[in-house]
Amino acid sequence: MTTIKCVVWDLDGTIWDGVALEAQPGEVLNPIPEVLRAMEVLEERGIVNSLASRTDPSVGDMVWRHPQLARRFVAPQLGWGRKSDAIWRIADELGVRLDAFAFVDNSPFERADVAAALPDVLVLAPEELLELLDSPLFRPAVATAEARGRVDRYRQEQARRHAQRSFDSRAEFLEWCQMRLSLAPASLADVDRLAELSVRTHRLNSTGETLHREHVARLVTDARWFVPVARLTDRFGDYGLIGAAFVERSGKGRCEGDESAWCLRLLTISCRVAGRGVAVAFLRWIIGRARAAGATRVLAQVRRTDANLEVRVLFRQFGLQIVDAGEKAGANRALLGRMLTGPLPACPPWLHLVEGE
Amino acid sequence: MTGRVEDEIRRILAEVLRLHVTVVAALPDDTSLFADELGLDSLAGARLIATIEKEFRVDIAAEDLNLDSLQTIATLRDFVTARANPGNGADG
Repeated sequence: MTTIKCVVWDLDGTIWDGVALEAQPGEVLNPIPEVLRAMEVLEERGIVNSLASRTDPSVGDMVWRHPQLARRFVAPQLGWGRKSDAIWRIADELGVRLDAFAFVDNSPFERADVAAALPDVLVLAPEELLELLDSPLFRPAVATAEARGRVDRYRQEQARRHAQRSFDSRAEFLEWCQMRLSLAPASLADVDRLAELSVRTHRLNSTGETLHREHVARLVTDARWFVPVARLTDRFGDYGLIGAAFVERSGKGRCEGDESAWCLRLLTISCRVAGRGVAVAFLRWIIGRARAAGATRVLAQVRRTDANLEVRVLFRQFGLQIVDAGEKAGANRALLGRMLTGPLPACPPWLHLVEGE
Repeated sequence: MTGRVEDEIRRILAEVLRLHVTVVAALPDDTSLFADELGLDSLAGARLIATIEKEFRVDIAAEDLNLDSLQTIATLRDFVTARANPGNGADG
């Protein structure tokens, strides 16, 4: 039996409660005591702890500065890419075979993704790791037959799960996840979450502007504005409201003087659903609504920040180009636009759209 | 130097798009980055820009506000070639 030599931990929701990227300045997130204890036990047994988090690399500072987490992780991986790639890199760096790896993540989506991409890796929810901690898998020394039997049963269960989940491609895996993206105009019940989203998203946030509750409530009820929200569910659960847009409808004196344009003033999408094509589907749907309403052009405001390069690439993908980057737009700001003729990027085939009113 | 820049850009594209290098190497240089053959999305695009900055010291995010260089393999190659430190490719 191969024993585990390296445990790769997810960060947000696994090592600590909360999302590091959404922490307020000065706020310190602390590891969950049982998890911290487990990491210490593993270390005592000569098992290496590593880290794979889908987050901004800058979050590393929070980890390296934390007295209980600094120097805890070997070959840590912080970034927006797939976790299976991160585990590959760790395996490369440590020279450890994949079947000696355990991956611990609270997200069933991430677990399924890694299980599908790397069938040799032992994939566990945090509570499963805590349960198995004293099993022979995590003990380099030999343990009792009873305990070995339990591990064998667990391995069989894993094998069964893997058999069910062999996918030829990433697209096939995403299709299997049964993602439903619900798109509808916001209601007053969404106002708190909309304000929160504008504060907490950085990466997929077109202007970095913070909207206050009252302001959001005004725009949601104003017929001159179209404020759609996106919600995502998949076979693992409900992610809630994960995207919003604030769009000025066409009309006299609006949209930078172009009466036949719709103007996207703010687009914001939560990093919790990164890598699933939500941004493309949402923006395509919004532009489709503008076209259906008779608009001939779509404009989009953007402010360049250190974090939101991805939004700029998204806008470029949609053929939005600078129409004003001058004084009027302001520092680091630009107004982009495109005519509504010609094709738009396709909606990712694995996202099933549900439109509401 | 153009040939080396283009080879390196094709290698970086293969890496960020998880495609085999030979697939990207075989595409004509007017292949659109966002079209199906390559299928660049916003996440891969941001990684592409970050990798190019690291390897060529060319900051597309700052120097190409419209991101016009992200049209085809050729536009990206030309943008990087025009700005990369010529010393990098010299033989001495």
